[in-house]
Amino acid sequence: MLKPLVDDLSETTVSRRRVLGSALFWASWGIVVVILGVIGGGVLRCLYPRALYEASKIFKVGSPESYKIGSVNLVTGRGVWIVREQEGFYAILAKCTHLGCQPIWYEDQQVFKCPCHGSRFHKDGVNFAGPAPRPLDRLYLSLSSDGRLEVDKGKTASLDYRLKA
Amino acid sequence: MNIFIQMWRSLFRTGVTDSPVHRVFRVVVNFSLHLHPARVSKNGIKTTYTFCLGGLNVLFFVMTAITGGLLMIYYTPDVDKAYANMLDLENVIPFGTFLRNLHRVSAHAMVIAVSLHMLRVFLTASYKSPREFNWVIGVGLLLMTFLLSFTGYLLPWDQLSYWAVTVGTTMAENTPIVGAKGPFSVLGPEEDMRFILLGGTSIDQPTLIRFYFAHCVGLPGALVGLMALHFWRVRKAGGISRPL
Amino acid sequence: MNDKIEIKERLRLLTVIREEALLRQRDIYPREEKVDTWPNLLVKELIALLIFTIVLVVWSLVQDAPLEELANPGLTPKEAKAPWYFVGLQELLVYFDPWIAGVVFPTIILVGLALIPYLDPDPIKGVGRYAIGKRKFATFCFIFGFTMWFALVAVGQYFRGPGWNFYLPWESWDSPKEVEVALTNFPLVAGIAFLACYYILGLGIPAVTFQNFFWRLGLIRYHITMILLMTMMLVPVKILLRQVFHIRYIVQTPWFNI
Repeated sequence: MLKPLVDDLSETTVSRRRVLGSALFWASWGIVVVILGVIGGGVLRCLYPRALYEASKIFKVGSPESYKIGSVNLVTGRGVWIVREQEGFYAILAKCTHLGCQPIWYEDQQVFKCPCHGSRFHKDGVNFAGPAPRPLDRLYLSLSSDGRLEVDKGKTASLDYRLKA
Repeated sequence: MNIFIQMWRSLFRTGVTDSPVHRVFRVVVNFSLHLHPARVSKNGIKTTYTFCLGGLNVLFFVMTAITGGLLMIYYTPDVDKAYANMLDLENVIPFGTFLRNLHRVSAHAMVIAVSLHMLRVFLTASYKSPREFNWVIGVGLLLMTFLLSFTGYLLPWDQLSYWAVTVGTTMAENTPIVGAKGPFSVLGPEEDMRFILLGGTSIDQPTLIRFYFAHCVGLPGALVGLMALHFWRVRKAGGISRPL
Repeated sequence: MNDKIEIKERLRLLTVIREEALLRQRDIYPREEKVDTWPNLLVKELIALLIFTIVLVVWSLVQDAPLEELANPGLTPKEAKAPWYFVGLQELLVYFDPWIAGVVFPTIILVGLALIPYLDPDPIKGVGRYAIGKRKFATFCFIFGFTMWFALVAVGQYFRGPGWNFYLPWESWDSPKEVEVALTNFPLVAGIAFLACYYILGLGIPAVTFQNFFWRLGLIRYHITMILLMTMMLVPVKILLRQVFHIRYIVQTPWFNI
């Protein structure tokens, strides 16, 4: 018959051993989890660069006088419409709220239509047909110190926002 | 005449002998055949049972991997060059179009074969014990196949790829909680799921390089790992399922 | 000290066989007929490999991979379709918001598929043969989902033209199709009541009608299975509501719409 290897040890020593052993066991697992967590967190952080080499979110779009009342103007390369109404200016992000395609302005029907899934928007960007879930984003528009219009793509404004000029 | 037969035979030190032991040895000793057991159940190799779908997936994967590797030689993941590389593949590089076609066709075939393989495994109830987890690995392989197809779609950098990926990544933006535009969103447009995918707020150079890495290194690596596990578990579960 | 075992010889472990495996071999598995892998299986593999290599090569000689103009962020093409295997999801986008069609449904599909082996309560029935009649419920669920996926792909691929409008395959895409349909929403309370009834009845009626089925699955399995099934059925239900009753959203809240 085989005897246990530690047959001459008293009960208390065994239990202390067991406690220590189990503490070590769980501590090891704890360290494994911490290491994995640190690595995972590091990898995740690494996916967010500190600086983006993208076009500035704030840009000028010319003087207010260059826009006719009632016109919808696409700023090419920026993906923004500048709309001038009787009451003032507003800027709309040219990105369908459904899946990000660029809608097209139809002057004759006074409507924005998205070619991807057929969403349609009124001139003020409010959706009225198709799958788009909400109105087009209204962007923050201001008058810069040199008297030109300035769009901030990073800031959205409410639907009643208008720049009086 | 005899002299030629003698010459031919002299090339091989021992002749091709056929016996049960030799048959077993040919499978066990050979690296590329050792995926198979030496003997298989008769039910498992009926063509109308498996329709060879699992094996065909391997063929399609190997085909995409080889053609993909060759395409990599002529491809630069740079927004200014990628499209020009495509035109070169079409017009300048011998068999360039054929390579691209074969890569695409194999990928399509793989999506079809993966779906049909899944259907086959379901209809024959092969996911039941002890093969439950291998089915789960199979679902992982399905996901990898789709992700590979999706990431590969951006690389030509033409209108088709740009807008398909716009649509795809806008869905990520709409993810609940971790998407900037999704319900109950907690992250801004520079922190959300879409940002991780794109490496920015719009589809540009960082996006192309991320998709390129995922398509050529990350996802194939994961796919090969899962495949190895999948095959190993098929063997350990006693081979292809058979009537109980 | 006397009972210490001294091992003189060096032993080598040849194999370890689990008791369970032995039992399975003897008691559960019938005697199976085995054949040599070489050549029986390998010949078939070789033939399949050759046939499909030829198929791939011919297919890629016949059909060229598409290449359009250089990517232009400022111009969305008239018709932007995803690759065919995602067109099913794109088709769902007509009926559901992107966060459901593009994120929640794919997640539920994958999780649901992965759960199948754990939801099936019977460990043996139908294994190793196409015994569809013996597993009517399971087969129905899977085939239904599988068919629906490919039906959506087919509709999206062959019946959708510019603006994702419905075109028959032989119709010209040049003729404009803009059917103006006024869509309505359920009132919030009615919508929530509808969804609640849908799930409660969908889970309750089968539990009462098919009590054997219910007890065989058990509480947890039954609920997961039926919730997944009812969620899958929500797709045709929503399509029906949209196409017949012109319902846009069942539930509309300021935060999310279903």
